[in-house]
Amino acid sequence: MAEPLLTLERIGKVYGDKTALHDVNFSIYPGEFIALVGMSGGGKSTILRLIAQLEQPTSGQIKYADPDMVTRVMFQNDRLLPWMTNVQNLSFKSSDKAQQARAKAMLETVGLQDFPDSYPSSLSGGQKQRLALGRALMADPQLLLLDEPLGALDALTRRKMQDSITEICQQQHLTTLLITHDVEEAARMADRVIVVKDGTNVYEADGAKGQDAATIGTVSEDVLNVILNTPQEV
Amino acid sequence: MDNATDLTRNPKQPRAYSFKQLLPWLIPVGLIIIWQIAGSLGWISTKLLPTPWSVIQDGVSLWQSGELQKNMGISLYRALVGFAIGGSVGFFFGMLNGLSKTARALFDSTIQMLRNIPHLSLIPVVIILFGIGETAKISLVTVGVMFPIYINTFHGITSVDPELIEMGRAYGLSKREMLTKIVFPGALPTILVGVRYALGVMWTTLIVAETISSTSGIGYMATNAQEFMNMKTVLLCIVIYALLGKVSDLIAKLLEDICLDWQAERSR
Repeated sequence: MAEPLLTLERIGKVYGDKTALHDVNFSIYPGEFIALVGMSGGGKSTILRLIAQLEQPTSGQIKYADPDMVTRVMFQNDRLLPWMTNVQNLSFKSSDKAQQARAKAMLETVGLQDFPDSYPSSLSGGQKQRLALGRALMADPQLLLLDEPLGALDALTRRKMQDSITEICQQQHLTTLLITHDVEEAARMADRVIVVKDGTNVYEADGAKGQDAATIGTVSEDVLNVILNTPQEV
Repeated sequence: MDNATDLTRNPKQPRAYSFKQLLPWLIPVGLIIIWQIAGSLGWISTKLLPTPWSVIQDGVSLWQSGELQKNMGISLYRALVGFAIGGSVGFFFGMLNGLSKTARALFDSTIQMLRNIPHLSLIPVVIILFGIGETAKISLVTVGVMFPIYINTFHGITSVDPELIEMGRAYGLSKREMLTKIVFPGALPTILVGVRYALGVMWTTLIVAETISSTSGIGYMATNAQEFMNMKTVLLCIVIYALLGKVSDLIAKLLEDICLDWQAERSR
């Protein structure tokens, strides 16, 4: 196997007197799509925030293959800038011509080429998340971090977005880490599913990306059982 | 529901629309007409309450003598200079305290204490210090305008959505970019509310200051007319205040429309 892009080693994170994470260990390899699943409050989002360097671990360390690795986060809420037009939201870091042209092309990638100059407030929930995805992709990230990006969408939009995210990530050979509480979503989108429970990674399964509904069902069932049944680690 | 009413109203819509446009004018215009009629017919003493027409005539003659422009110009100058100074100081401290916790700890409680002093109560102090010259009036306006701008700038900066700031951080914005692309635009709606409010305070302060101690300006014109029992000019001055206030408000509104066009789309 290739050199991992990053490795989490015995990661622990404590907030005040609450332990959010203890002893998290896994690696992310280039090009793979990993899903972290688990119940709310299990520590999934904390792992993402540590990898994105929005916070520092209390113990353990994250080893990055490239210390200057570009990571981009797509958050659960779109976090678009309401005072910028859609195309400006994509090129908000720099307004030079090359970047503008790239932003236009990116709008096309995420299927919003018809609304370059309107404001995000006039987009639907799904469109906003597409735009947020486009913004994350603008920097050509080596690692894309998706923090329950589809959590607020209705079931149909959600399903469509799952497919387009998978497709875009595959086209651009992106290494992706998806946080979700939806086991089926994880099975459908990921190459590898990691179950996070009580602040640690307790189980790993192969995902069912691009496979038939039955396989997705089996993987989901398997993962769901782990989430619901594994006795708590001592 | 809406569609149904739209359909039934559609043929008559232009008329209904213009009627709605006229509605806000009904009461003021009606009152002026009644006032004019009552004055003309001698129901009320025109000495005590001159008719609107005679107030307009007074305005025309004061304009022809050049007195009106001179006083309006002076008042406008005081208002704008005071606003510029007070607004800048308020904005500066609002930004500083909004962005820096150290500055906030150092300045904010002092500013909050000073803010609670009614600025018009400083008139005696200002007269003793600066006499009745320009400095006195301008410094009063400055003090009056400073606090609304300060409070709103400070509040605007500190209430920018922390999630957007975190996004900026995760996307590698520099401190400067964070300020120009996220913090300032996010605070702008609140800052402009402060500007609008401060414009109102600016006129009130100036008028009171000019009424109490001055030898020029609209406020002086009113006080001077009062000494000669010239009710026409007093009323004229009040009308001018109202117009100046309305104009400032329109300017503030225009500023909001230009700077915050993204909000218009949301409510559309």
